[in-house]
Amino acid sequence: MNHNPVNWGRPSDDQYGPYNYQIANASNVASQATKNSQNEFPTMHTQQPMITGASVVAVKFNDGVVMATDKLGSYGSLLRLDDLERMIQVGDSTVVGVSGDISDFQYLQRLLDELLIEDNYDMEQSNLKASHVHEYLRGVFYNRRSKMNPLWNACVVAGFDADGEVFLKYVNLLGVSYSSPAIATGFGAYMGVPLLRQKVENEEDVKKLEKEDAIKLVRDCMKVLFYRDARSWDKYDLCVITKSTKKIEFQKGLECEGQSWKFARDISGYGLPQQ
Amino acid sequence: MQAQNTLLNTEYSTDAQTEPIEHRFNPYQDNGGTILGIAGEDFAVLAGDTRQTVGYSIDSRYEPKVHDVGDNLLLSANGFSADGVQLVKVFQNQLKWYHFDNNKEMAVSSAARLIQHMLYRKRMFPYYVATILAGLDEEGKGAIYSFDPVGSYEREQCRAGGAAASLIMPFLDNQVNFKNQMDPESNGTKRRPLKYLSLEEVIQLVRDAFTSATERHIEVGDGLQILIVTKDGVRSEYFPLKKD
Amino acid sequence: MSQQDPSTINGGSAVAMVGKDCVAIASDLRLGQQSMGVSNDFEKIFHYGHVFLGLTGLGTDVLTVSENFRMKTNLYKMAEQREIEPESFANLVSTSLYEKRFGPWFVGPIVAGLNSISSKPFVCGFDYIGCIDYAKDFIVAGTASEQLFGMCESLYEPNLEPDDLFETISQALLNAVDRDALSGWGAVVYVITKDKVVKRYLKTRQD
Repeated sequence: MNHNPVNWGRPSDDQYGPYNYQIANASNVASQATKNSQNEFPTMHTQQPMITGASVVAVKFNDGVVMATDKLGSYGSLLRLDDLERMIQVGDSTVVGVSGDISDFQYLQRLLDELLIEDNYDMEQSNLKASHVHEYLRGVFYNRRSKMNPLWNACVVAGFDADGEVFLKYVNLLGVSYSSPAIATGFGAYMGVPLLRQKVENEEDVKKLEKEDAIKLVRDCMKVLFYRDARSWDKYDLCVITKSTKKIEFQKGLECEGQSWKFARDISGYGLPQQ
Repeated sequence: MQAQNTLLNTEYSTDAQTEPIEHRFNPYQDNGGTILGIAGEDFAVLAGDTRQTVGYSIDSRYEPKVHDVGDNLLLSANGFSADGVQLVKVFQNQLKWYHFDNNKEMAVSSAARLIQHMLYRKRMFPYYVATILAGLDEEGKGAIYSFDPVGSYEREQCRAGGAAASLIMPFLDNQVNFKNQMDPESNGTKRRPLKYLSLEEVIQLVRDAFTSATERHIEVGDGLQILIVTKDGVRSEYFPLKKD
Repeated sequence: MSQQDPSTINGGSAVAMVGKDCVAIASDLRLGQQSMGVSNDFEKIFHYGHVFLGLTGLGTDVLTVSENFRMKTNLYKMAEQREIEPESFANLVSTSLYEKRFGPWFVGPIVAGLNSISSKPFVCGFDYIGCIDYAKDFIVAGTASEQLFGMCESLYEPNLEPDDLFETISQALLNAVDRDALSGWGAVVYVITKDKVVKRYLKTRQD
């Protein structure tokens, strides 16, 4: 066994032999001089996210969906952008909330613009529904991950489907997708979803949740996320999609209200009260 | 960025890596869940739990993964959910073209062979899924076909796949194929004769299998979706499972 | 389950169940070297007075640990002038394993027995460093543990009479080991009641 901590959790050379850098016909190695040296790597499309957006939080209520994203764009721990809008409206029945890499988000924005334009060419009036947008995004994400060159995002698609019903579904960089009455990406999956599920565990509960309560619920989630997610912010946009009026309304530049940091006094370590 | 060996100043730092650490994108994920198919004399069932997970997080409590793909065929691909969804989508598309080209329904044996080819063409970058196909054969008898991720397949009386397959499969051996069961009169010389189970018996077995798996496997639970195929078409049943 | 994982080199499984005023404990008989079977009479159930111990895991450690407990229970008997009870033995197993916390025995032990005073059935299991898992119903261990969990969870019911308990634990073990390449090659079952212990060998598939 190799006891060097650097090698923990890695395939051992004893077992698998040294890594063959010729695999996949390494072609992006800088110069001829380094060819055939140990520094040769296979083609690496793979990036890491640069400027990132934090959680998207969304919940269904009896007459639609409420979704929120904060306005922060982080560059590592640096507050890089302070006026980001990470929810995009596509046509008249879809909103896409995007977290993860911001440049990939802007690329998606362009793809969805083109999709909408193409759709408008073909049809008399816009026929592009949220379910179609979701399926399109799933295809884009899945194809890119299959080329080992992913778009580093997690999205929540909300709106109306072809039957005019309320639609809410998630899709991410792997092409993994699912629907649920309460969806959140990133840290929101750990700290937002439990709060949302207290009110909407299943579709039956959705029928009992009023619009105003749903908005308050999502706003509470954004507050809790601001308390605990270091890469989040207290300024955010909120979107309300209403089935009965067929309207998509944005409330931009909201702030977390009624913050109380009293709890922070007693916290040390991982949050348990210390003697 | 600092060089590697100045970051980790351990007693091993002299033999630390000189090449940079490669952070590779992992195109796969385990989304948990379990599926189970049983064939009867004139029916077949394909069941799956409705929970979708990643790690310790439950993404969705209701994301059905057993699909009625048409032509009296049921299909489920359990494992990496994005691959599962894609496989079913590609299959449904191929099935549509089969109808255009041949103007007839696809037999379950043909569907099985088609799925083998769909899986094997991605031999070097596989669909990370356990696949089960259910339908009725040419004689109207229930048929279950099970596949490994790269397309090797077999027709069976029953098969469990996915996260809790190892918990359920021996139970099925015992209760469907009567393995290790003897005729009590024979003093251990004769095996209990095989017989087809009724639909009611099969559904009860499926429910028992899933409640047991839910009890002992964290990635299984929330809901049980059972699709039943008979000569009259496809029927669906849903039973809640524990949500913890 | 890497090639050199000590707990899966030799293979083997064990299970214990609680019934009405009785307990049962059973194991397979296989000892292997990776995929090669070496022995078909490697019993993994040991007893110290009226306490029964199932030991799965690395074969050499199974033998060593079982002999260690023979010594320790003999010393206990001399000091206390009585046989050790299942509850006390469970704690002895736990402390003995934890003593070797940083150079462990690669074993998966389970304990079963009736308390000689109260006649109360007792079963429990451990991880290889001594964390006790007290159970009201059944305990599994070994390379077929997942299969055993599935079988026991679906076949088991509380308050079985000795004969029914024998049938249940036997079916659970037999069908579980048949789905594990590293377990099988025969099985042994003990059914323990207040006044007698019945030991039976079972035929299994020989593949």
